[in-house]
Amino acid sequence: MEIKPWKLNKAARCAHCKDATIHSIIIDRYKMKIKCRDCGFTRFYNFHVVNIPKRR
Amino acid sequence: MKVHLRVFVETENLGKAMNAMTEAGITGFYILEYKGMSPQDWKGFVIKEEPESAIGLIRDYATDAVLICSVVEEEKAEEIEKLISETLKKDKFTILEVPIRKIIVNYGNEEEVEEEVDVWLLEKEVPCFYCGENAVQRIRVDVNKAKIWCTNCGAARYYLIKGVERPER
Repeated sequence: MEIKPWKLNKAARCAHCKDATIHSIIIDRYKMKIKCRDCGFTRFYNFHVVNIPKRR
Repeated sequence: MKVHLRVFVETENLGKAMNAMTEAGITGFYILEYKGMSPQDWKGFVIKEEPESAIGLIRDYATDAVLICSVVEEEKAEEIEKLISETLKKDKFTILEVPIRKIIVNYGNEEEVEEEVDVWLLEKEVPCFYCGENAVQRIRVDVNKAKIWCTNCGAARYYLIKGVERPER
């Protein structure tokens, strides 16, 4: 089943420009991208592992 | 002007001296324990030059004492002086006030620490990547890693930082 990437916004202090700015967050099955809308500083994450709880 | 205040007291009077300094409003301090002899006690002593002899003499005759140091404004130093003189009027103490020309303080890795504790928590109702159900997904983003977990099926997905892209100046 194809699931579209999630799109979120977060107001937070940017690690690069140090200002309180809006960050665009895009999360898909294997990648995650967080970008400061003000200065453009971007962090990229890769999928690492999934933990599935045991069924009771 | 700020001064480096040094208060020398006998160990048993440390509490009294500290209370007097706290009452005067000191914000920070440091303490050094030492063994010492006052000029009156030392007068007339001639020690043998062997190291053992000198160390033995200090061990036997010197008094256990404490040096309390703090950096304060000149006016506050006067207040501390009065309070200590009052509190320890029957005890031995010495106060030195050394003028300070400059203070440089470096907090080292303060920025790195700030970045480390910067954790974002988010929630969004979207289809889960594992069970496919439309459910609330909790997202925790750290500087170097991220975790998302589904409130429906409980699957937790972990992501690790791959890199950053800094904007051109």
